[in-house]
Amino acid sequence: MNENLFASFTTPTMMGLPIVILIIMFPSILFPSPNRLINNRLVSLQQWLVQLTSKQMLAIHNHKGQTWALMLMSLILFIGSTNLLGLLPHSFTPTTQLSMNLGMAIPLWAGTVITGFRHKTKASLAHFLPQGTPVPLIPMLVVIETISLFIQPMALAVRLTANITAGHLLMHLIGGAALALMNISTSIALITFTILILLTILEFAVALIQAYVFTLLVSLYLHDNT
Amino acid sequence: MPQLDTSTWSITIMSMIMTLFIVFQLKISKYLYPSNPEPKSMTTLKQRNPWEKKWTKIYSPLSLPQQ
Repeated sequence: MNENLFASFTTPTMMGLPIVILIIMFPSILFPSPNRLINNRLVSLQQWLVQLTSKQMLAIHNHKGQTWALMLMSLILFIGSTNLLGLLPHSFTPTTQLSMNLGMAIPLWAGTVITGFRHKTKASLAHFLPQGTPVPLIPMLVVIETISLFIQPMALAVRLTANITAGHLLMHLIGGAALALMNISTSIALITFTILILLTILEFAVALIQAYVFTLLVSLYLHDNT
Repeated sequence: MPQLDTSTWSITIMSMIMTLFIVFQLKISKYLYPSNPEPKSMTTLKQRNPWEKKWTKIYSPLSLPQQ
């Protein structure tokens, strides 16, 4: 039973070959690059959404931070579309893989931190000590701030993994419960099914919110460092 | 937790890097954002006659500005 619960999170293979590369590449098909003067509805809607999001997200940045616009927009579209596609039944969600989220979080975080140390060395070093710290606390606080800096990408990756994994597990459990209750009591099964529907709606929201949160946090790290 | 099985990490990370950092960025960089139409300024640039652009010997006295 314990093995069954987590079975949907194992990297899928087909005839011994890993097909995870196809699954991860799949969302890019949904974003056709326009090659005509007049776009169709899908591309227009996507471009409108990207423009809206980028305006909202890049307003806080200075000119140097805004050079990350393409990176941040592709990040939010990639995570969002992967999360939403993962809600399809019997599908594998790559964002439940800790490896992939770490692989996204660490380079982006390192990019912002290196940018900060390269161009704003003093301000970046000043982040290691809050203003007005009592002198005896200074060595300890520097250590704590250093640890908190290095834990940032871990928190970023684990947040996304945990949220998506927990949602999928909960839907799996409640779905199983609703199915099992069908034979015992139809009314309770219906209530469980209603809860399942509500939870699925919540998961759709969570899929988008987590994509937004991940990108927003990368954007905030960038804002601290530019 | 099958996520902690590190044998599949490299293929997952490699495919993520190819998708996110190459395919997605190439696709989204091709998006076009035409600016809203706005009226052009009505003041047209005054076209200069060819003989006004540089001094020549055939400079017509009639085309000189009135003094």
